[in-house]
Amino acid sequence: MSPEMTEPEIRKVRQGIKEKYDRVAAAGSGGCFQYPTGKAGMELQGYPPEVIGDFPPEVLAAFCGVGNPFSLGPLAPGDAVLDIGCGAGVDSLVAAHLVGAGGRVVGLDVTPAMIERARAHQARLGLNHVTFQVGEAEVLTFPDATFDAIISNGVFNLTLNKEKALNEAHRVLKPGGRLMLADMVLVAALPPDQAGKVENWFQ
Amino acid sequence: MPGKDFLALILKVGFHRVKLAAYTGFKSSPYTEGALFYGEKLLPGQARDDLASQTEPAAAPLKEVACEPSGT
Repeated sequence: MSPEMTEPEIRKVRQGIKEKYDRVAAAGSGGCFQYPTGKAGMELQGYPPEVIGDFPPEVLAAFCGVGNPFSLGPLAPGDAVLDIGCGAGVDSLVAAHLVGAGGRVVGLDVTPAMIERARAHQARLGLNHVTFQVGEAEVLTFPDATFDAIISNGVFNLTLNKEKALNEAHRVLKPGGRLMLADMVLVAALPPDQAGKVENWFQ
Repeated sequence: MPGKDFLALILKVGFHRVKLAAYTGFKSSPYTEGALFYGEKLLPGQARDDLASQTEPAAAPLKEVACEPSGT
């Protein structure tokens, strides 16, 4: 956690993130990010065409990832995969497609409304080896060495205690397990009048 | 957080073969861009391999289309 943040600031960040993603969940296809989303975003990031072709438009439209974690390496049939910050579940469902019915995927998100959307998408696709649950990256409820791979897309930048979240990811991965993340990072210094603003966390 | 700092955190918690593999070309502001990170949990008795973490990826071309309405 940022050592310079006060408790009220931390509460404001958590509340701001929650409200933002409640709005995104409620908006359905009405939100808009600064980068391409939906099917166009998936195509630009090189998601497997066969997966894009198999998914219905309403599921594709829910994609707002910042990259393609699956480009970091293949998932094997039968793998157990955790998707941290699954949102409306698109990447979890892609993972389920890749690991097949012999595998297992768990999608985790802090926003209950997102989990509801993810479950609706799961039902639409009829995939039974995916489960979705509400939870936080910093406090994973799974036993040690549960997963073969962890994926995440645009979530760790919103996590207040990144080291704790990464420690938890390390704990629940099996030995040899893979961490495959897409995330938003700073590539240039913020102007002095914007640096340190609490609102940067959820704009 | 800059990518190299996040990479350092991934190394710190114990992953190896850690790398910032690429920038994705998706920007949420003039100061922030998507990036891909990879790491592996060591197998028992396996020697650490930290070579990949020393390599900085090339900048990605900006990927954009007209922003379409969406959720997440």
